[in-house]
Order: sequence, then structure tokens, then C-alpha cells
Amino acid sequence: MESLSDTLWDVVICGTGLQQSLLALSLSRSGKKILHIDPKEYYGGPDAALSLEEAQRWQAEHASASATASSIFNSATILQSPEPANLPSRSYSLALSTQIIHTRSALLSQLVSSRAYRQIEFLSVGSFYVFKPSSDAQIPPTLSRIPSTREDVFSTTAIPARAKRSLMKFLKFVLDYDSESNAEVWRSHADEPLTTFLASQFSLDNELQAYVLALTMSLDQNVVTRDGLAVINRHLTSMGVFGPGFAAVYPKWGGLSEVAQVACRAGAVGGGIYILGTGIEKVVDQAEVDEPVEVVLSSGTTVKTTWLVLGTEDQPEAGAEQISRLVAVVTSPLASLFEVSVEAAPAPAVAVIAYPPGSVITKDGIASEQPVYVYAHSSDTGECPIGQSVLYFTTRTCPLAKALLEAALESLLTALESPQCLYQLYYQQSHGSTSIQSKGTLVHLPAPSLNLAFDDSTLESIHEAWKMVMDGKREDIDEEYMVFADREGEILAIKSKARVCTTHFISIPSDAA
Amino acid sequence: MASDDDSLATLKVLLIGPSGAGKSALLIRYCDDEFDSESSTATIGIDFKIKKLSVRGKPYRLTLFDTAGQERFRTLSTSFYRGAHGVLLVYDISSRASFLSMEKWFEEAENNTGPDVVLYLVGTKLDKAEVVGRAVSTEEGEELARQHGALFCEVSAKTGEEVRRPFVEVVDGIIRKGLDVGSGRTGGTVKVGADEEGQGGYLSVCAC
Repeated sequence: MESLSDTLWDVVICGTGLQQSLLALSLSRSGKKILHIDPKEYYGGPDAALSLEEAQRWQAEHASASATASSIFNSATILQSPEPANLPSRSYSLALSTQIIHTRSALLSQLVSSRAYRQIEFLSVGSFYVFKPSSDAQIPPTLSRIPSTREDVFSTTAIPARAKRSLMKFLKFVLDYDSESNAEVWRSHADEPLTTFLASQFSLDNELQAYVLALTMSLDQNVVTRDGLAVINRHLTSMGVFGPGFAAVYPKWGGLSEVAQVACRAGAVGGGIYILGTGIEKVVDQAEVDEPVEVVLSSGTTVKTTWLVLGTEDQPEAGAEQISRLVAVVTSPLASLFEVSVEAAPAPAVAVIAYPPGSVITKDGIASEQPVYVYAHSSDTGECPIGQSVLYFTTRTCPLAKALLEAALESLLTALESPQCLYQLYYQQSHGSTSIQSKGTLVHLPAPSLNLAFDDSTLESIHEAWKMVMDGKREDIDEEYMVFADREGEILAIKSKARVCTTHFISIPSDAA
Repeated sequence: MASDDDSLATLKVLLIGPSGAGKSALLIRYCDDEFDSESSTATIGIDFKIKKLSVRGKPYRLTLFDTAGQERFRTLSTSFYRGAHGVLLVYDISSRASFLSMEKWFEEAENNTGPDVVLYLVGTKLDKAEVVGRAVSTEEGEELARQHGALFCEVSAKTGEEVRRPFVEVVDGIIRKGLDVGSGRTGGTVKVGADEEGQGGYLSVCAC
């Protein structure tokens, strides 16, 4: 076996976050020599799902109070944790950047065409709820479910008949919002807040506005009409694509972390070499533009490569927008959140709860100014033991963000018959660079998006990086991107002497034992 | 994947162990009845292989996962281990170092799989015992397996001796433990494959 330093690598990829891993997947049939490393001991980088032990180490590394120069994560604090011995650490996988994936997302179609999807179990994202605080301290707050189908809108008793007509009118409008006649209605309001547009054009009252706003999954209550309509359209047109009753899916065992791991395995099957716990110490300046790049690894080994692809999860943009996250494990299956609301729908493993601005109040009596979202994950996600659930809270960072998320957790537990909380981890995540950057053969992929739903624009930079590495001057090269045949039981190359032999799997009759 | 096979109980079995232990050779001998003595470098290109197997008169579909070279720097992912019903831990009986590393492989397998998983220790290159001599006795292998509650045998992918045994016995062990081997997937799983488009969109019926 050639040593790492004797090989001239085509690509060295550093980091196993979703983007770098998808790049490895896209290159997995290219025959390129790929070295894929990660300074962390686990896969997934900023998209990782961590055991409690890993989360503890991660927290210590990201405890610094301000957006530092070395990570997009900061201010990590474990607010509550039982004696470690009392919880089986590995029974948990807590996702750092939890995102749901709409069924029409190009990520799913690429996972299907690249054949990686077979190693991933997708679960459905079920109901969306709006949190309603109670004005009377004696009465617990409630969650009201956003109707998810037309029949649902008609049958719900929560909405008065006249309001239902307005809501249906709006939903029909959004489904076809880009048609000429509909575009005329919203274009002149494109940059106004969506709430203003809903009130002026569709006479939706505050309550219905809250429903509609929840579907935008926006952390900005002033989300503009253009963006809001696009997201709601994506939501509605995603409904029913892979079965009734859901518009989005979530990969079991930690979401995008699982996608990253499966993509890395595809990279390994394609011949890529994987090393964890090894980062880059130094990139040596190239003497000539055409020379290979010399990279000194943290292990001390120097490797040579044509392309070097890095993430930017270690480079937060100064002063950029931040979000605050709170991950909480509770001792209840929270069964009411995961009920099947549409006939023949698969049992959902994820529920979404939106807190409209003003509905969360801190201990000191200060109300939230921005929405708070919660993803509730049942134990079907494999992220916690049976009988428990994981709650992922997100809001825009503000001085009170932590206090607001703690208050949101507390009030949610009150609304859900007060299960106990076992564990809480708080942290902030900032925006890194949002576009791909390259200098010669050194490529920086953008940092993960802060959106709550997977953002397809993430895929563009991976495609771009793939093209660079593939020297994509051929016009038809894009047709090959992420489109692979099945590798089931097939040996594509047996290596020694660089000989290629193809042995296809032949169905063998069952043999008797 | 042929659709008429979909009703078969599917078992996920992994082959792990140090580089050069002969995992791929064992897999290819068992599945394809082939052996390439010149192939000596690390494996690339095998994702998984499928083999149908009847045990106690019932057919099973075995999906066998190789390490894809990720054992070299011990970077197998947690997702690789998910849902495994059985794990073959493979070492080379002519290499002491290979045997000594098995303690770590047992630890990794035990940490990443459920309590009901069937572990099976396999010593390979049995044909070398007579030619160049063993570095690990059968008794040592048996003892290590016993300590971890694993089954044990020695095989030769080169001669084909005993190659079916670990696969048949691991399946038998899985059946005896009564693992849920239904479709291999949990309820609530959504199919996203291209041929599986559903219907029932938000306002799919008509205007109202």
C-alpha cells in the first residue's frame, strides 16, 4: 500500500460536514485519488450528531462567549445534565444543525440518483403547530395544529368558517403564486413584510397570519413577501410527493449527519482514504502555479495534492447574523405531537412548533420579539432512548436569546403535561461565508446555512467544486453529476496491478443449510 | 433489487477487522466462489453483496457489508453499524498482530451495535497453517470468542474450507435470538426512491 506522503493526491478534502461529504460522494466514481480527513474524531463536522460524551467535549471546545476566529459555534453551555453514569451516553445522538428536508429538495433526488439513499432511513415530518400562550396563569398554554390538507382545513373547529374561506383562498393563491395573474397581486408588495401582505390582500386575522408565518420557517418575523411565498409554495407543493400527510423528511439517527456518513462511505467504496482526528497544520505556498499543493497534516505527515478543498466552519464572518439553539432531552414520548393526522400517512417522527413573536416571556417578564421554532423528535429518530424525546429550539440570537429559549422550553413542557427535562445544551451558531471561494486549486466551500429547512442552494457550491476538480470543460459533463449505477454486490475494480476487472453479482439459488 | 425478493427477511451482516485479514477474500469466496491469490492490496469498489441463504428451511436475504478500506485508519462510521444483525470479526491466523487487534474490534462492535447483535470471530488463511505455520492457535481464538460471547471458526478462502460455516451459523444465531428481521426497516420509514412517487398533495383534488 502506498504511503500517504508518496501519493500524489488529486484532491485532499478537509472536514466531513455535509458539503465536503457530498463532494466526496460526487467524486466517488471518478477514479480520482482522494484523501478525506477531519480534525474531529467523528464524522459530520458542523452537521454532526453527538453522543452525550461527545457533546460534553464539543461544549468545552465551543464554550468561548463570543464568535471567535476558530469556529462558527460559540457560547456553548450545558445547562442541565444528570450524573453521566445515569444516562447511556451512546443512546443519544444530538444533531448540531438539525434541518428537515423538503420532499422536492434536490438533495433527495441526488441521493437517489447517486444510489446513496438506500443506506439512509427517511422518516416523515408530521404536524406543524402554533404555540398559544394562556392569558390565565391557571390554564396551561396550548398548541394548535396547522391544518395540513384541504379536508383538514374544512374539518377543523379551531378556525371560524369565514376565516377558513380566506385561508383557502390564500393557500390556492400560493400554490400558483408565480402565474401571471397571481404574480401581479404580490409583486408590488414583494419587499414588504409578509404579514402586511396577508392582512391587506387576504384579510387574514392575526391568528391565521401566525399559521401562515409558521409555514415560512423563518426566524425573521418580518420575512418579506417574496421569500415567504416561495417557502410556503415549496411546503405545499412538497406535500404528498412520497406519501400522504407530509411535506418533508428527516434522516433517522441524526439527520444530515447520517447523510454525511453515508456519503463518506460511498467515497471510501470508491477508493477514497479516510482519516479522522487529523486536520491541516499548514498549507505550504506553491512555488509555481502548476505545482501540486503541499499540505502538512496535524499528524506531521506532509502530503501533495492537486486540489485542496476546505470547509469554512472554522471561519465565522465578523458581525454576521447568529442563531441560538437549545437542545433538550425530556422523559416523555410526547405522543400527542406525533399522531397521524391524515389517513394512511406514515407515523411522523418529527413535529414542528412555532412560537409567534410575543408568545414567549422570560422570567423577568420580557417578551420575545422574534419567532422561536422547535423541532420535536420522537425516539423513532434514534436520537434518544424509547420513552424520551429530543426538543431542538432555535431563535435569532439577541441578548435575551438564552433566557427566551429556556422560557420557551418551560412553557412547552407545561403545555405537554409537564414531562421532566433530563439534559439541556445551549449554543450559538453564526453565519460563515455563503458562497464558494477558490484561489488557484484551493477551494473553500461555504459554511452551513442557518435555515431550519435544508437549503438547495447549498448543493450549487458542491456541484461547482466537483466541476473544478473534474476539469469540467466538456459540455455534457453535468449529466454525469451524482448519477451512478447501483453498486450492489459489484466489484468495480480490484486494484493490485491497476487491473480493472468487473464481476457482476449473479443471483445464486438459495442453498440449503 | 428484484422486487419479488422484497418479501424476504433481510439480514445485515458486517465484516470487520484489521487490513489484510482477508475480509474481502472471504466475502468473494462465499458469494461468488472465486479467489484471486494475486489480489493483495486494500479493497475498493465493494459496497455490499447480497446472498440468499436458507437456514432451517426458511430463505433469508443476507446483505454483507465490507469495510471499504475504512478499517485502515479505524474510521468506520456509526452509520455503518446501524441496524446490523450480525458482525463477523475477521483476523489472520498467520499474523499475531492481526489477532491482538481483535480486542479493539470487539470493543468497537460492542459499542456501536445493539445488545442482541450476533458476534462471530473468524480466523482466516487456514491453508497457511500447514505451509508457513500459525501465529495464533485454535484454542486462543476459541477463548477470545468465548470471552465476548461470540461464535468461532477458522476458514480458508483460498481452498474454500469452512467458508460457508460462519455465514450459516451467524444467520442461525440471529434467528435463535429472535431478532426482528421483518423488512429490516422500522415502521414510519418513508420511501424516497424515484419509482415510488405518491399522491395526495395539499390541494390535489380541485378548486373549491
